[in-house]
Amino acid sequence: MKDTRRAAGRSGERDSQRARGASCSLEARAAAGIAARCAGVRRSLCAAALAAAGLLAAPVQLPAERPFSATYDATRQIHLEGSVTRVEWVNPHAFLVLLVRDATGTVARWAVEIGPPLDLERAGWKRTSVQVGDVVAVDGVPSADDRRQAFARSVVLKRTGKPLFTRPTARRAASSAPAPRWPDGRVRLGPPPGGKGYWAEPSATVLVDRSAGAIRLNEDGLLVNLSDVDRVAPFRPWARALYEYRQRTRLRDDPLARCVPPGGPRQFQMPNGVQFIEQRELGRILVLHGGGDRNWRVIYTDGRPLAQAAELVLSYYGTSVGRWDGDTLVVESVGYNEKFWMTNGGLPHTEALHLTERFSRPNFDTLRYEVTVDDPRTYTRPWTGGWTLRWVPDREIEEYFCEENAESTFLR
Amino acid sequence: MWRPVLVLTCLIACQARFAAQEGHPLTGTWSGDWGPSATTRRHLTVVLEWDGSRVTGTINPGPDAVPIGSVSVDVASWTVRLEADGKDESGRPAHISAEGRIEDLGSIHRRLIGTWTQGGTKGDFRLTRE
Repeated sequence: MKDTRRAAGRSGERDSQRARGASCSLEARAAAGIAARCAGVRRSLCAAALAAAGLLAAPVQLPAERPFSATYDATRQIHLEGSVTRVEWVNPHAFLVLLVRDATGTVARWAVEIGPPLDLERAGWKRTSVQVGDVVAVDGVPSADDRRQAFARSVVLKRTGKPLFTRPTARRAASSAPAPRWPDGRVRLGPPPGGKGYWAEPSATVLVDRSAGAIRLNEDGLLVNLSDVDRVAPFRPWARALYEYRQRTRLRDDPLARCVPPGGPRQFQMPNGVQFIEQRELGRILVLHGGGDRNWRVIYTDGRPLAQAAELVLSYYGTSVGRWDGDTLVVESVGYNEKFWMTNGGLPHTEALHLTERFSRPNFDTLRYEVTVDDPRTYTRPWTGGWTLRWVPDREIEEYFCEENAESTFLR
Repeated sequence: MWRPVLVLTCLIACQARFAAQEGHPLTGTWSGDWGPSATTRRHLTVVLEWDGSRVTGTINPGPDAVPIGSVSVDVASWTVRLEADGKDESGRPAHISAEGRIEDLGSIHRRLIGTWTQGGTKGDFRLTRE
């Protein structure tokens, strides 16, 4: 095992930034006779880490749904070689469980995250692509704490030297074709007749006040410079302090880690995308969520007035009414509970939250999303941000349940 | 005999999970106790709400409810001070003054811990956000 501190790139973090769920525990078992090797330049650190982790006697903890930044230390790298004892091909993240022997001959169990199984399957990989007993070499980033866990940037099958679980990194070129339209000329938010597809690949996974100019954040919503806090949004003092606390603690309390739904703008930041089902005859649009708990949201377009938040059962997605303003769908929503973070990075809100969302489709492949946040208990003025999503053609959003990776089911 | 206790414990635990709120850290129902010593404790429930300009609240809602006169929060340290005019156990007016600090701010089980003075009795209090 090799563990070297250095600035690491962020490739792979986008995948890992996918919704992360409840902690998962793998019982440790002795596995004598399985060839595994721990090699590298800082063996003392390796040995210390193994000792601290209680070696094989203690369970391996897999914090599967936490933000990447709260789970892994991207400033370090790790090299592991060991035998596969288990393949956990579960959403939202597949894991290999390895037995790794350090320089002293001590064997420890490691959990290696290899990516979302949906993406792996699209790239042609299967749960049988690696077999129990195969010896693999892993390069990646280690856990931010003393867990025996790593995020793999590469996995190589030792007996063949072939890389495993690779995925294409090149983005598909955007189409300049016009947006599809209904017979009456209105823009379709879904596929053309007979087609299928959904929206994903958000251009930004953070929400900031667009009047603030460029602010550097990572894909989890962590500020590169904490001094930029005041530029993110026009916080009231308590909200600023809470947001800064969440940033300082690297988002460790993110409710998404408990599989709480990604309400508010965050639903359009989730990697598994959204699908619009326009039920024009019923006067409503369904927004199906590919991530989180695979929820759906209803936007009523039948002309009903926006409800009074005080009269509503407060919910994660609020109550939404929409109207078309030319080619833009304008959606007003109220009635949010306070049980979720409305964006990656931990922007707070209260029950007074009122969102105005604008959806437009300037061409076939692009959905422009803009949201105005009006919560006078949290922010000193309304503010606006947004991003775009890309069309994923010829596919349906696929089955994905955050809860599937919760401890109770992971151990089944 | 233990079954009711287990069921009650489970219900309390479930309520704590489902009642998690991520808005203003003080908003919600806090329960615990206060007292002058470890063995002399009184149940304490404090309901607080942020209305956008100030925090309002009630101590022990119900027949013996005490409206909180003022709540101040120093968000730099998450120190909370509250003042109220209640009664002591004999029914005589007793001013309540408490100062505490929110611990484990980001947790759904965050705590408010500090000193509690009611009339001539001084003690400590410990509250957990339900």
